[in-house]
Amino acid sequence: MSVPLLQMRNIETYYGPIMAIRGVSLDVNEGEIVAVLGANGAGKTTLLKTATGALNSNKGQVLLDGEEIQCRDPDWVARKGIAHVPEGREVFPVLSVAENLAMGAYNRSDKDAVAVDLETVYEYFPALRDLQDKMAAYLSGGQQQMLAIGRGFMARPRLLMLDEPSLGLSPVLVQEIFGIITRLNSEQGLTILLVEQNANVALQVSSRGYVMEVGGMVMDGPSDKLLESEDIKEFYLGKKEEGVRGRRRWKKRKTWR
Amino acid sequence: MTAVLQDGCDTLPKLFLKKSKERGDRIAMREKDFGVWQSYSWSNYRARAFEIAHGLLSLGLQRGDVASIQSEDCREWLWTDLGILLGGGVVNGIYPTYQRRQVEHALTDSSCRFLFVEDEEQLDKYLEIENDLPLIEKVFVFDWRGLRDFEHDKVANIEVLYELGRKFGETHEGLIEQIAERGTGDDLAALVYTSGTTGLPKGAMLSQRYIIFQTLMAPKYLRLTADDEILTYLPLCHIAERVFSGWLPIAHGATINLAESTETIAQNLQELSPTYMFAVPRVWEKFYSRITTSMSEATWFGRKAYDLALAIGLRRADKLIAEKPLSRTDKIAYGVADRLVFRNIKRILGLDRAHSAASGAAPISPSLLRWFLAIGLPIDELWGQTELGIVTTCRKGVFRFGTVGPAMPGTEVRIAENGEIVARSDGQFEGYLNLPEKTANTIIDGWIHTGDVGELDEEGNLSITDRLKDIIITAGGKNITPSVMENELKFSPYISDAVVIGDKRKFLSCLIMIDQENVEHYAQTQSVPFTDYKSLCARPEIVELIEGEIARVNADFSSVEQVKKFRLIDVLLTAEDEELTPTMKLKRSFVSEKYSELIDAMYTR
Repeated sequence: MSVPLLQMRNIETYYGPIMAIRGVSLDVNEGEIVAVLGANGAGKTTLLKTATGALNSNKGQVLLDGEEIQCRDPDWVARKGIAHVPEGREVFPVLSVAENLAMGAYNRSDKDAVAVDLETVYEYFPALRDLQDKMAAYLSGGQQQMLAIGRGFMARPRLLMLDEPSLGLSPVLVQEIFGIITRLNSEQGLTILLVEQNANVALQVSSRGYVMEVGGMVMDGPSDKLLESEDIKEFYLGKKEEGVRGRRRWKKRKTWR
Repeated sequence: MTAVLQDGCDTLPKLFLKKSKERGDRIAMREKDFGVWQSYSWSNYRARAFEIAHGLLSLGLQRGDVASIQSEDCREWLWTDLGILLGGGVVNGIYPTYQRRQVEHALTDSSCRFLFVEDEEQLDKYLEIENDLPLIEKVFVFDWRGLRDFEHDKVANIEVLYELGRKFGETHEGLIEQIAERGTGDDLAALVYTSGTTGLPKGAMLSQRYIIFQTLMAPKYLRLTADDEILTYLPLCHIAERVFSGWLPIAHGATINLAESTETIAQNLQELSPTYMFAVPRVWEKFYSRITTSMSEATWFGRKAYDLALAIGLRRADKLIAEKPLSRTDKIAYGVADRLVFRNIKRILGLDRAHSAASGAAPISPSLLRWFLAIGLPIDELWGQTELGIVTTCRKGVFRFGTVGPAMPGTEVRIAENGEIVARSDGQFEGYLNLPEKTANTIIDGWIHTGDVGELDEEGNLSITDRLKDIIITAGGKNITPSVMENELKFSPYISDAVVIGDKRKFLSCLIMIDQENVEHYAQTQSVPFTDYKSLCARPEIVELIEGEIARVNADFSSVEQVKKFRLIDVLLTAEDEELTPTMKLKRSFVSEKYSELIDAMYTR
């Protein structure tokens, strides 16, 4: 078997004295979409930040194509081919849409290819083309999310990491954006690591999924299997038996299996 | 039968009325509310119990009626327990981890009239089977959260009962005292359903005499006095916690501290630093492994200091066990080791104030007891069962590890011809509810057949070999007591529980439940990647680790007694699962049935 594109092994990351991630391992194979689910504070964002070098891990390895990249500067990791689309969009507010996209290609010198990719982004996100001279701050939440993904794509990364792209978006917009994410994967061969709280949509687009809880992995498997799991249904999809009173707040299962 | 009296009282209600009045505003119990410890006085304990008793009486509670409590430990549990007794009722504790079928059995079998449940989760268990329980007249909920808009004829907030009781009490002063006065030691006081590894749980009937008899064992043998602080964390339905947190404090006045949950024991211990600690072997094992793992990560200097101190401690422990005098050097060396190392260990565990400690409810490894003695925390192993209460305990300053000590006063123990331990006492149980046949098989000529096999030494110390029905006879005809091996295996920080199998088989095999925390920690330090619990159990490095632990234990056993093969149970089990007893022990018969495929695989090539 070929080496996974991204391997995280036994990662431990601290915020000061607090251990935010306590031993997490995860693989992303070339061409896959992998989803990481978890509630607030489970350590999902920390995991991505550790992969990009924005945070240094105290233990464990991050391997890109078998090469160790942990604890390096984020710009070095970015040049290695990991693009990070942060939670809450974080576009450059005072730059225009076109400038934002150009920032994504900051590390690239192949001007012609960049031009082609810019065209590709506009094809996937036609709304951005119409707004290209507009200041990013004036974009709607959905447009900003598209811009952030487009900016990530402009780096032509080996791996695109998306941190909660569905956050604060209407259900229709979520469907649209995840449709585009799926297309980027299948048509452009882009490998994607997706962190989400919206388990339903994340498991539908991904091939494999991991579930995080208080800094550790509690479950993993093929996404279709996870969608069927009773625990996922109860904890993430809000599907549960009605219960005798018609409203049940407590969880039947206390552990993941 | 001679009357059993504690402070002139032959029933718990009489004792409670007397003691709670004497103690007044002294603290009876503490429990956390929103993360802050709150104290509740004896007057408050009394007032709440009165309200509940009056409330139940106003609803028509008759002497001998059963009321059940289905809840995790909480202050309301204790209040209700006494409230029911003061009203002349019988208390039936139901494990909150019980599933529907078991709850139904415990409520139907006991003809329960009033049910107390902790919260909406426990309430739902009742509501699901409501139609099968016509005898239940009223259900009271301790914690009404999530039920604001809920209406049901039979279900009410416990506050409603308090109010009802207050009103009733105003017009019925002295009634509770009258009811208590009419009570005798023969009255049925409690039903305790034994976990029953096979079939449905059996309801052991405990009289007032049984309870008073238990309280007589303190403070001489169970060294619990009015100045003591204890932590309550085992289910109060379990006889051990009921003795230590329910009855002994009423008789002797120790302060109860209710742990937030079983997960927070370590933290709660540090906050409270109890002066007396009763724990099940699982907890002592956890303490030990916590210290050993943190020591393996300490600095070089720290490790050396620990090793040196432990060597001194163990040498002293061995002399104490052998009853050899300690030399001056021993004492000085130990003093230094204690000051520099052991005291810190005890502080980390939250046991630096503990003057005594006890272990029971399951067999404990002698190696573990030796380690605790070495660090200066001698643990008395005691032995008992629901049918008898506490039967034996090791005496202070006498270390006969591997034995559970001599019988308590008023209790007789002997070994029957088939090796079974039989015992009788002035306070033994009255039999199993609705099961005359099982009762007749257990109480024969007044002696209770305990189901345990054991030996008595010339000093009268009892040692427990195993459960009679657990003894393995291999295909080669060799008798083997699995618990000896199992206890040594559990001494490993990586093994949480083990079940040795081999009845009518060619060799012994074993199912292992790993200790999640310590094995995960091991995997982390050894850079063994894993995701979830299942994948952790599947890692060859982890299987190898357990193999090493088994090989280490095997070395002390003869060839036929050695475990030749093993498998890990790769499902993270909780007390809700039927594989575990409420005190988190693997149930042998259930496990060997449920995992029969896994077991058979070990015996087929």
